[in-house]
Amino acid sequence: MNTNIGSANRRRGARLPLAIGLSVALVAACGTEQEGSSSAGEAREECANAEEAQRTYEAAWSQAAEQLGLEALEPTEEKVCEVDTSDWAAEPKSGNSYRIAFAAQGPTNSWALTNEEAFKYRAEELGVDVLYAAANGDATVQVDNIAQLVSQDPDALVVVPMGDGITGQVRAAAAAGIPVIMCAGRLTDDSDVVSTVTRQYELLGTMYAEWLAREMGGKGQVAVLSGLAGVPTAEYQKAAALDVFQRYPDIEVVTEQYTEWSPTVAKQVAANLVTQYPDLAGIWSDSGYGDLGVVQAYQEAGRPVPPMTGDAINAFLKAVDGTDVRFALSSFPPEQSMDCLDTAMSILEGEPVLDKVYISSPSFTHEDIDEYVRPECSDNLFVPALLPDEQLAELGLC
Amino acid sequence: VTVGTPAGPAPEPAAPVEPGVPAASAPEDGGLGRRLLALLAPLTGLVLVLLLAAITTPGFFSGGVLRLVLFHAGLIGITAVGQTLVLLIGGIDLSIGAVIGLTTVIVASYSVGEDGRLGTAVLLALAAGLGVGLLNGLLVTRRLVPAFVATFASFVLVQGVVTAWTRGAPSGTIPGALSPLGTGRWLGIPVPAWVFLLVAVVAGVVLSRTGVGRRIYATGANARATALSGVRTGGVVTGCFVASALLAVVAGLINAGYIGYVDAQLSRSLDLDSVAAAVIGGIALTGGRGRIGQTVAGVALLAVLLAWLRQLGAGAGAQLVVSGAVILLAVWLQSSGWTARSPRRTKQRDGVR
Repeated sequence: MNTNIGSANRRRGARLPLAIGLSVALVAACGTEQEGSSSAGEAREECANAEEAQRTYEAAWSQAAEQLGLEALEPTEEKVCEVDTSDWAAEPKSGNSYRIAFAAQGPTNSWALTNEEAFKYRAEELGVDVLYAAANGDATVQVDNIAQLVSQDPDALVVVPMGDGITGQVRAAAAAGIPVIMCAGRLTDDSDVVSTVTRQYELLGTMYAEWLAREMGGKGQVAVLSGLAGVPTAEYQKAAALDVFQRYPDIEVVTEQYTEWSPTVAKQVAANLVTQYPDLAGIWSDSGYGDLGVVQAYQEAGRPVPPMTGDAINAFLKAVDGTDVRFALSSFPPEQSMDCLDTAMSILEGEPVLDKVYISSPSFTHEDIDEYVRPECSDNLFVPALLPDEQLAELGLC
Repeated sequence: VTVGTPAGPAPEPAAPVEPGVPAASAPEDGGLGRRLLALLAPLTGLVLVLLLAAITTPGFFSGGVLRLVLFHAGLIGITAVGQTLVLLIGGIDLSIGAVIGLTTVIVASYSVGEDGRLGTAVLLALAAGLGVGLLNGLLVTRRLVPAFVATFASFVLVQGVVTAWTRGAPSGTIPGALSPLGTGRWLGIPVPAWVFLLVAVVAGVVLSRTGVGRRIYATGANARATALSGVRTGGVVTGCFVASALLAVVAGLINAGYIGYVDAQLSRSLDLDSVAAAVIGGIALTGGRGRIGQTVAGVALLAVLLAWLRQLGAGAGAQLVVSGAVILLAVWLQSSGWTARSPRRTKQRDGVR
């Protein structure tokens, strides 16, 4: 393609339109090819086994409602279908065991570290070989990673997506005949992945907001603190929360701020909240790390901490253990990579899987803190941890 | 501009400080009027923002908000003084954020939360800062690597070392004895602001009243001429990088004391904030011009601006846009000569470079 554009160099005026035209033609050509080679496209249209798939989807919502003691949670509209994977069923391509490629985030924080170790742990249990590549949190690096992994012709590819920028490479992998599983994140619907296995962001955002609304008695000022602007993990959760608050006429969202998931930044933001909104009745937050800073800011100002939400990180639980801080926590568990690998294996065995596997994970409030806090473990541990204790000790997490 | 840039016609080697070249900044030549003129832009900006804040966010002038501003100013200011020293010799230090991160990790992992081990942990952190500063300085003076590249490389290197060492999950608690440095107050004013004041006064005196200061200005204005006049410019440049790194360690200690945890997510914004504060104050990115007083004014303006935007509830995007616009405005004012420079001298300087 480059050569074609290069030859058009002389006619400068026509260069851009020509390049666009060529790209469009090429993409269109690729697209048609894939439609033919994969049955996923057709299956999605008719939505096999829709009712049962939908029930599985809603189960995660009702479970969360039950755990937080809420009457009900209205699931976000989402169409989940069963995928016929008989076309993907295959013997191991080389040797006796399957080789599963894992395009991971790279151990840039404890979530990613646990995410990868859990995947490898499960792979060992199943007797599967892992081809591993780390993106260090960078979508551009991940594009290269996927290309390299695909060149080794694995039986399946599991990707922890670093951004929509990888979509093209994911499609190329699918076109090369490799089933792709999105793990702990998602791409757009037309990315040709067989299945997406993740905790649903909307569920987290909604359940935090509903719990908070109940705690506040359905009225008062609330501050919304989310992680990083423009990052899906932060924005989807926040959007779902704002939807909920909109349904309560007496709840006013007075400010929306970003904490960068940093306790330091969150503390500075919260120190502002203390002075600016003395009547704050609740703090919706997507991060336990951020909550650490929020609690400190209120305590240092000598003010009661408003009820708050976030993800279940041990540091926060240790900090509020024995205080009267009210909170609801859930998690985007790092160990969901195990479910991703399980789904990949089901696909290779030709068992039907759902196109979206929304996993359940424990949600709890301040009342159950004793059950979840791990005083002997590292601040960075996501609770409840699913890996065995000796493995956690090895990782320096316990 | 890096050290060793050939600078036009070779000046008289005998003259210790070549007249005319560093004149725009040499402390002796700056009359009171000119000093005030240099402060005009940042102070006007400060007054403007304070006025806007008074109109748009009524709660701005409360004790709580003011203390927040002072805390933030202290944290930015300490790094900005270090950054100013490096800018004055014509460099830039992009490794400040990495040194801050390194400091918290060292203190947390060595002290494991015990007050008794804090002293040694602080010494280790200072040693690490010294190491990074020396590395930056030697890369710039011995290998003639542009400061931008050298310090960015050490930023990446230090981040890599921290990530590899902690496996991306730094843990450990900061000893409680450090918390007064971050959260304490003296006479109602946050301790970091006092530290900033102390650092700024010391740096100001050194720059304006001592031979070291004169050498720094001369090196930044014309390194070759200064070297030819017998000053060991390599030592001056390295010293400035070391000072910047050590001040970053101090900022790191304050940060650690403020939150009490290793904050792996703390962004690199302090690198840019320190450059921004210096530039807004009117410190020349080309080296050799600017005073600590200007940096202090820049820090005050930036801290007030950031606090005001936060009070307004402006999103992260708006905060970045406004900060960026203010920096651009400052640079534009600098280059259009609203600061303490006559048009004649501008021309002369441009001819030399």
